[in-house]
Amino acid sequence: MKRAFANPLARLGLALIASILLLALLAPVIAPYDPDAINVKSILLPPSAEHWMGTDGLGRDVFSRMLFGARISLLVGFVAVGIATVIGVVLGAFAGFYRGWVDIIIMRLVDVMLSIPTFFLILAVIAFLDPSIWNIMVVIGLTSWMGVARLVRAEFLSLREREFVLSAQTLGASEVRLIFRHLLPNSLTPIIVSFVLGVASAVLLESGLSFLGLGVQPPQASWGNILTDGKEYIQFAWWLSFFPGLAILLTVLGYNLLGEGLRDALDPRKHP
Amino acid sequence: MTRYLLKRLFWMVPLLIGISLISFFIMHLAPGDITTTEAGFNPKASEESRQKLRKLYHLDEPILVQYGYWLKRMATLDFGTSFASHQRPVFWERRDAQGNVQKGLIQEALPVTLLINVLSLVLIFVVALPLGVIAALHQNGPPDRIITLFVFVGFAIPGFWLALMLMYWLGVVHGWLPISGLHSLDHDKLGGLAQLVDTARHLVLPVFISALGGLAGISLFVKNGMLDVLRQDYITTARAKGLPEKTVVYRHALRNALLPLITLLGLSIPGLIGGSVIAESLFAIPGMGKLFYDAVLMRDFPVIMGILTIGAVLTLIGNLLADIAYAWADPRVRRGVVH
Repeated sequence: MKRAFANPLARLGLALIASILLLALLAPVIAPYDPDAINVKSILLPPSAEHWMGTDGLGRDVFSRMLFGARISLLVGFVAVGIATVIGVVLGAFAGFYRGWVDIIIMRLVDVMLSIPTFFLILAVIAFLDPSIWNIMVVIGLTSWMGVARLVRAEFLSLREREFVLSAQTLGASEVRLIFRHLLPNSLTPIIVSFVLGVASAVLLESGLSFLGLGVQPPQASWGNILTDGKEYIQFAWWLSFFPGLAILLTVLGYNLLGEGLRDALDPRKHP
Repeated sequence: MTRYLLKRLFWMVPLLIGISLISFFIMHLAPGDITTTEAGFNPKASEESRQKLRKLYHLDEPILVQYGYWLKRMATLDFGTSFASHQRPVFWERRDAQGNVQKGLIQEALPVTLLINVLSLVLIFVVALPLGVIAALHQNGPPDRIITLFVFVGFAIPGFWLALMLMYWLGVVHGWLPISGLHSLDHDKLGGLAQLVDTARHLVLPVFISALGGLAGISLFVKNGMLDVLRQDYITTARAKGLPEKTVVYRHALRNALLPLITLLGLSIPGLIGGSVIAESLFAIPGMGKLFYDAVLMRDFPVIMGILTIGAVLTLIGNLLADIAYAWADPRVRRGVVH
């Protein structure tokens, strides 16, 4: 861990994540206005001392909406990746531990899921269900567990052959105990790295879906749908689309920097 | 090689069955059945169109029979006709009752998406290859740092946001580039060369946007590949023989670093096809992505299911081609020494 924070890029990533998380958590305290308060007297005002990021087509304060939007965007990211990680870890652990037919079937499932373009798959599912924040989380989670499954499987396949597993087996440890007490804790590193990187892509995915109008539904603010509002007014109000994009960029950058920094620091091959 | 090919083809069968199962599962996701969902979304859905859906997917039959019909549709690539008022066939052209040929929706959209993807791949390679090599040769030097920054920003920037900003700056404010569609309104009146220039100008922004993620990814991939290869013993041998550094880098190292790129190319196909949704709907380009997006908005289920399946099959074909190319380029693979 110390090595990860010796890396200046990883530190920058952590700082970005921490400040955005803090802003999201403290949104009700920081927000200068009610994010949903419509004010016909202040429509499409440019950024000023009163409205730091201007106002939108309904006169709502963009800065306040950005703060509350951060909560939604991050929540979707974390829950979706949480779902994906649980599915991926369980399936990967089974495949790597039991090998044989279990492994073949699970890995074929991974191949099938990887062969269907993810964005098409997500949109198709949303076409059949209602686009709501919960459906979005579940759908993103159900379509992005394959990477984690492969990682955990590879990790289990190699760990299984190590002496400490043999010794635990000789002492009579049950399969469940072997998986959860011995193998899983030793595969935690790549799981954490892929979780951090996964949040980055889930935030990006959610913003893309909301941008298409198929993600988080208004009036609930998310960075993606603030941007969609901005699309309509781009000729008169650049700030409406500029700030949400910048926020997404910084968030994704933060998670990617931290993820790569952790990966580098925890990779034994790079630090013999 | 034949043995390898046969084995590889055999492995596609379970994948195709898996794809059919997943797409069938999605069709049945909707609470109730898809006929009631459609009615819920679209109050105008008439009794007639509901009957059409029931008939199309045989919803009155037992579930196994339904799946049988779905398999048959997939095998014959017959995805029915669109629910939109033009009622065109989803996949390929067909003669209607009057004997007029109706072009298939996917038939028309697929070449557009392929053109954009091929052009973005060309752009990716032309830019990312030299960037990766330069970064690897100057590891931790200023060029490497600048390229790393570019890679991280490229990964993190939302493509649709950049597209929107570029549309605004280059298209609206300066009027340098057209921002919508594939042709100008007066396209048909232009001469041959002018037509080509017109289409090319329309393609600049969409191709750049679809290439963005790949640019970052492939630069990083080439850099890491080169760093790996440059540490190998045969590179030391080549240098020890007294070969000039240029020969070592470009003939010995780069060629071997590029090998895994073939596989990566195959793996990037679903991302490219899926990524076309945002770029195409933003720039109003009549490709697979926009067709799919419009179908999702209108709940045009035959089109949704058709594109989902065709997209998956295209990915499988792409992966197959990539594996064949890899086996052709690397004798160890086709003789089964390594996988």
